[in-house]
Amino acid sequence: MATLKVEIVTPEAALWRGEANALIARSSEGDFTILPQHTETVGDIVAGVVRVQTNEGEFAFAVHGGYFQVGPDDVEGVTRATVLAGVAERTTDIDVARAQAAKERAEAELAALTKGDPEDHAAHLLAHAALERAELRLRAAAN
Amino acid sequence: MAGGQERNLRRRIKTVNATRKITKAMELIAASQITRSQARITANRPFRDGMRRIIIEAAKGDPAAAKRLLAQPENVESALVLIVAGDRGLSGAYNSSVLRAGERLVNSLRAQGTNVRIIAVGKKAAPYFRFRGFNVEQSFIGFADRPSFADARGVASTVAAPYIDGEVQQVFLVSTRFLSAGSQVVETEQLLPLSVPEAPVETSTKLKGYTEFEPEVEQLLFFLAPRALESEIFSALLEGAASFHTSQQRAMAAATDNADDLGQNLTRIMNRARQDSITTEIMEIVGGAEALRSGK
Repeated sequence: MATLKVEIVTPEAALWRGEANALIARSSEGDFTILPQHTETVGDIVAGVVRVQTNEGEFAFAVHGGYFQVGPDDVEGVTRATVLAGVAERTTDIDVARAQAAKERAEAELAALTKGDPEDHAAHLLAHAALERAELRLRAAAN
Repeated sequence: MAGGQERNLRRRIKTVNATRKITKAMELIAASQITRSQARITANRPFRDGMRRIIIEAAKGDPAAAKRLLAQPENVESALVLIVAGDRGLSGAYNSSVLRAGERLVNSLRAQGTNVRIIAVGKKAAPYFRFRGFNVEQSFIGFADRPSFADARGVASTVAAPYIDGEVQQVFLVSTRFLSAGSQVVETEQLLPLSVPEAPVETSTKLKGYTEFEPEVEQLLFFLAPRALESEIFSALLEGAASFHTSQQRAMAAATDNADDLGQNLTRIMNRARQDSITTEIMEIVGGAEALRSGK
């Protein structure tokens, strides 16, 4: 039987690996779903929620940007899908209070920056990135 | 007097034993760090291999685009060398061997007429090069023992900036590779332009012929390259840390053994000195008694 083996990997650890029915995520070209026997694909993943549907239910991960590869089927008809992300976490592991605090901190930072030195691009980018991460965590944890 | 010698020896034995305690403790700490840093290397492997596989796939998918982005420069005017050493000493030859390899590379690049810029990781690296009259542009300190991915990102962006601006045409990495607990090797590799690993990490058993890309390969590679750089630097940092701990553990074990030997020798000498002084004392007493008796 055709199966899909999904691996969600960060530089520090393999976050999750196991058999799945489908992998749902969004690339820069739009939403996509990987099913067993999907063709070989390499692509990016934009920051968002990556869902893995398995027989035991759905697992969701907040992925802060990354890449995926669907490898060729091996002899037993197993399709391998790998998601590589610099930062990612299980939505159930998200600390909502911490994310909320981070969001407020980033917003305050941004407000201070716009008032202060609008030329400081690096600080602006950092604060923006922090805000986006916090917002994604909150969104991911909410559903 | 003889008693003074004995007291001196006693003091030296105490010093040796105190040092032994420290080296023993450092050995044990290093040993526990080895296990931890080795586990981190293992945990990082799927990510590193996955990143390499994606680069290979992408390079195969559009060789022309890959050539534009990843090709060897024909004319290298300036090169950047990133050297990964440790933050601490007392680790045997770990720092000196990686630093020497770095110096060799810098010298050979200079001999070819290339301008060389140096960026260093680890507290031990910058002083070494400054002392020899090289200019170290930036030195990262504080995470060589336990690098995090964020640290690797910081290093990667610093290293990539002059390359992206076209100031340097090549970036090299000199670091210690952790092959196994028993063997660590200093290696020099080219970081930028990214080299596509020749041998696939994992040969696929069945090929379906073509691969889809989202987005197009050129765009994908463009954004992927910095991520791949981060990944390579991160695994180099992890392996450097593991090599450092291994090296330190070995050095400290040797130091502990030395202290054991030294302590044993000193104890022996001290015992002899004590016996000598006792003998002398008895001789003096006997001599004195003898003199008193004959004087009567």
